[in-house]
Amino acid sequence: MDTENKNQIKSYLTFKLGNEEFAAHVGKVLNILELTPITKVPKAPEYLKGVINLRGAILPVIDTRIKFGMPETEYTNNTCIIVLDIDVDGESVHVGAIVDSVQAVLEIDNSQIMPLPTLGSRYKSEFIIGMAKVDERFIIILNMDAIFSVDEITSIVDSNQTINEETDPQ
Amino acid sequence: MDSFRNKFIEEAAELIDKLEVSVLELEKSPNDEKLIQQVFRVMHTLKGNSAMFGFDLIDSFTHNLETIYDMIRNGQLEVSKDILNITFSSVDHLKAMLDEQNYEDPDFKTVHDGLMGKINSIINPGNAETVTQKTETTKEKSESLSTYYILFEPNEDIFKNGTNPLYLLDELCSLGDHKVFAHFNRLPGIMEIIPNLCYTYWEVLLATDQDVNAIHDVFIFVETDSKLEIQKLAEENLLADKLFVEEVSQLAEVQKDVGLVTIQRLATKAVARINKEKAKQFTKERIATKDKTAASIRVSSDKLDHLMNLVSELVTTQARLSLFAEQTNVPGLAPIVENVHKLTRQLRDIAFSIVLIPIENLFGRFQRLVRDLSAELHKEVDFIVEGADTELDKTIIENLSDPLMHVIRNSMDHGIEDARVRIANGKPAKGKIHLKAFYSGASVIIQVSDDGAGIDTETIHAKAISKGLVPSDKKMSKKEILDLIFLPGFSTARKVTDVSGRGVGMDVVKKKIADIRGEVEVESEVGKGTTITIKLPLTLSIIDGLLVSIDSSPFVIPLSSIDKIYAVDKESVYNSFNNLVTLDGTQIPFFSLRKEFNLKPSNEELEQVVVVNFEDNRVGLVVDYVIGEYQAVLKPLGKHYKSHDIFSGATILGDGTVALVMDTNKIIKMFATRK
Repeated sequence: MDTENKNQIKSYLTFKLGNEEFAAHVGKVLNILELTPITKVPKAPEYLKGVINLRGAILPVIDTRIKFGMPETEYTNNTCIIVLDIDVDGESVHVGAIVDSVQAVLEIDNSQIMPLPTLGSRYKSEFIIGMAKVDERFIIILNMDAIFSVDEITSIVDSNQTINEETDPQ
Repeated sequence: MDSFRNKFIEEAAELIDKLEVSVLELEKSPNDEKLIQQVFRVMHTLKGNSAMFGFDLIDSFTHNLETIYDMIRNGQLEVSKDILNITFSSVDHLKAMLDEQNYEDPDFKTVHDGLMGKINSIINPGNAETVTQKTETTKEKSESLSTYYILFEPNEDIFKNGTNPLYLLDELCSLGDHKVFAHFNRLPGIMEIIPNLCYTYWEVLLATDQDVNAIHDVFIFVETDSKLEIQKLAEENLLADKLFVEEVSQLAEVQKDVGLVTIQRLATKAVARINKEKAKQFTKERIATKDKTAASIRVSSDKLDHLMNLVSELVTTQARLSLFAEQTNVPGLAPIVENVHKLTRQLRDIAFSIVLIPIENLFGRFQRLVRDLSAELHKEVDFIVEGADTELDKTIIENLSDPLMHVIRNSMDHGIEDARVRIANGKPAKGKIHLKAFYSGASVIIQVSDDGAGIDTETIHAKAISKGLVPSDKKMSKKEILDLIFLPGFSTARKVTDVSGRGVGMDVVKKKIADIRGEVEVESEVGKGTTITIKLPLTLSIIDGLLVSIDSSPFVIPLSSIDKIYAVDKESVYNSFNNLVTLDGTQIPFFSLRKEFNLKPSNEELEQVVVVNFEDNRVGLVVDYVIGEYQAVLKPLGKHYKSHDIFSGATILGDGTVALVMDTNKIIKMFATRK
C-alpha cells in the first residue's frame, strides 16, 4: 500500500491508556498481539521493555505508559502489543507498543479532526495530529512516527506547559 | 543480450581492476617481464571480450594501449613514467567507457581523444595517425606464417626477354620474411663469359602468410623456361629460428648450393624444436589458466545472501528439532537429531567460507590511492601491504572501503611530513605507510601505520578544550586524549586540504566500523608515527556461543572470547571486597552479571564463573548456570537499541524465546569505567 492510498483510508485504531483514549492511523498498524513473555534487555532505558520473537524476527517493545509519562500498571488480560511500522528518516522500522487495551477501529473523517488547543494542552503539539469527538468522547489522534521514532526518548507530556501553569499566577 | 552485456561489464570491471593492480606492480619493478606479460594479457582479454560484445570503442582503445605493451614486450619500448601515467589515465578512462551513457559527454570525448593521441604518439612518435591500421596488418601476418623453399634457376637467356630476375626476387621478397642465397658457381671463367646470359641462380627461404600460388604468380612469366622448385618446408616461421638460419647460411657458404633435401632435413629439425618450445609455453599457460578456472566459479552475490539466510533458518530449525527430541522420548530419534546437528554445523561452516573473500581487491585500490595522493601532495611514500590474502565476510569488506580510505588519506595528508621536514628530523625523505591485515582469534585486525609526525596530544587536548568538547580542568590519560579524535566535529588539520580535514573525520570512521561490529583504536608517538588499528569480526551472521542463564533469562556469550568456565560457591562471589576471585591459583577480577544487570541475588549455592579474554587480561563473568554450546543466528536488536551496544544482537532459541548475545568487550568496558 503506498502512502497515497494509506492517506485516503480514514480508519483509526483506538486504544486506551488509563482513562484516556488515543488513536493511531491503521496504516501504521501491522498487527495486534497478545502480551507474550518479553525478554528484558538489561541496562536499557526503562520505557524499552525488551524484545520479543515476532515470527523469527526480533521486535523491540516499548511500554507506551512510561513513554507517555504515565504511572506503570500491572499487565492484565486486556494488555496488548500493537506492532507499528514507524518511519525513521525514510526507513521503515518495526516496533511493538504495549497499551492497556485496544478498543475499536473507527472511521474518522478529516473534517472531524480538530487541531489541538494551543494553550493549556497537556501534550506537546508535535506528537499530536489532532482531536476528534466521537460519541461524546474525545479521542487524541497521535503522530506515531514522531512518538516512536528512535531518538525521541523524552515524554510527550509538555513539561514546560505544566511548569508554566504552576508558576504563572494568572 | 542485455544479460550478456551486463556480464561483460561485470567481467570487464574486474579485468580493469586487475589491470590497475598489475600496472601498479609494474611501476615498482618496471623490468619484470612477467608483469609486462600479465598487463598485456589482461589488456588482450579485455580487448577480445569487448570486441565480442560490440563495445567497439573499448576494443579499439585497448587495441592501441595493448600495442604499447606489445612493443615493450618485444623490447621496442621501455616502461617509462610517461607510459605508466598514460596507462593509469587509460585505466580510469576504461572504467568510464563501461558506461555507454558517458559516450555522449563532451568531456568524455576530449579525454578519449587526448588519450588516443598520447597513446599513438608513444607507439609511433613520427606518425601518430596510421598506427592502428599498420599494427593490424603486421599482426595478422604473424598469425599463419609458412616457410617455403624456392629454387629459382632462370633460363640462361632470360635477359633476352627483357626480364630482370632481380626484380622477380624483389617481388618475391615483398611477400614476407626472407633469406636469399645467390649462387655464382655456374659462372664460367672470365674469358668464356657471355655478358647477356644469366649464370646466377638463387635459393630463397621465404616466410609468408601467402599460399604457394602467390609465389608461383611471381614467376608466372618465366616459369615455363626456368627451373623453379617451390616447396613448403613448415607451417612455421623458420626464419625466426636463429639456429636454423645459421645452419643454412653456413651450408650455403661451403656448398655450391644447399639443395632441397638438406634444407628439408634442417627444417624438420627446426620444426621439432619450435614445437617443443611451443608445447612448453602452452602447458605453462594452461597450468596458469587451469589454476584459475578450476579454483573458482562465479556466483551472484544474491544467491550467496540467499544461501546464508537459508542456512541461518536451518540452524534455528535444527535448534527446535533438538529441543523437541529432548522433550519427546522417541527411541532412535536422538541419533538422527544429532546427525542433523552435525551436518548443519558443517553446512554452516562451508557456507561461511564461501562468503569470505580475500581483502586483496580492497588493498589494491589503496595502492592506487597512495600513488595518486603522493603525486598530488608531493610526498614520496613507500606503501607496504601485508596479509592481502586475509579473508573477510564480503559485506564487511564492502563496508570497510570508505573508512580505510579515510584513514590512509589521513596518514598521507597529516601523518607523513614534507621531505624537507623529514630530513630535518633525521628521517629518510621517503615516508612509509604500512597496511597490514592478520587474524587474531575470531577477529581480523587491520592496521595502518605511518612513520610520520604522530599526533601531538597537547594540541589535541587544547583543541578539544577550546571546542568545548571536554572540560578544561579534567585530567586525561594519553589514550583518552588520543580517543578525542573520534569525537564528532573534531578535525586537527590546520588548513582544510582537498584530501582530508573537512571536519567529517575519524568520528565517521568509527561509526562505520562500529556498524560492522568493529572497533577502532589509535596509538601515536610524536615524531615517530601513528598506528590505527581496526578490529573486525570474521562474520556477521552466525556465531558459536555459550548459552547461559541469569535469573532464568537466557544469554549467549560468544565462544571466541571464552577462556574457561569454573564453578564457585556463592559466598566467595558475594562476600568479595575487591571483586577478585581465586581460580586455579590466580586472582581474577570478576563481575556478577546479576548484580550488574540490577537483578536480585540468586538462591543457588553454586555459581558459574565464565572467564573471558578482555584485552590482555582474563575477566570472570558470574552467571547462574551454563546451559551449553549454542549456534546463535545473530539478529539485530533494531534501531531503538542502537546506542545500547553491550549486546551485539539477539538470537531465537529452539523454543521460540529470545536470548541476548553479549558483546563481552563492551560489557566489561562499561562495568570497568563505571567504577
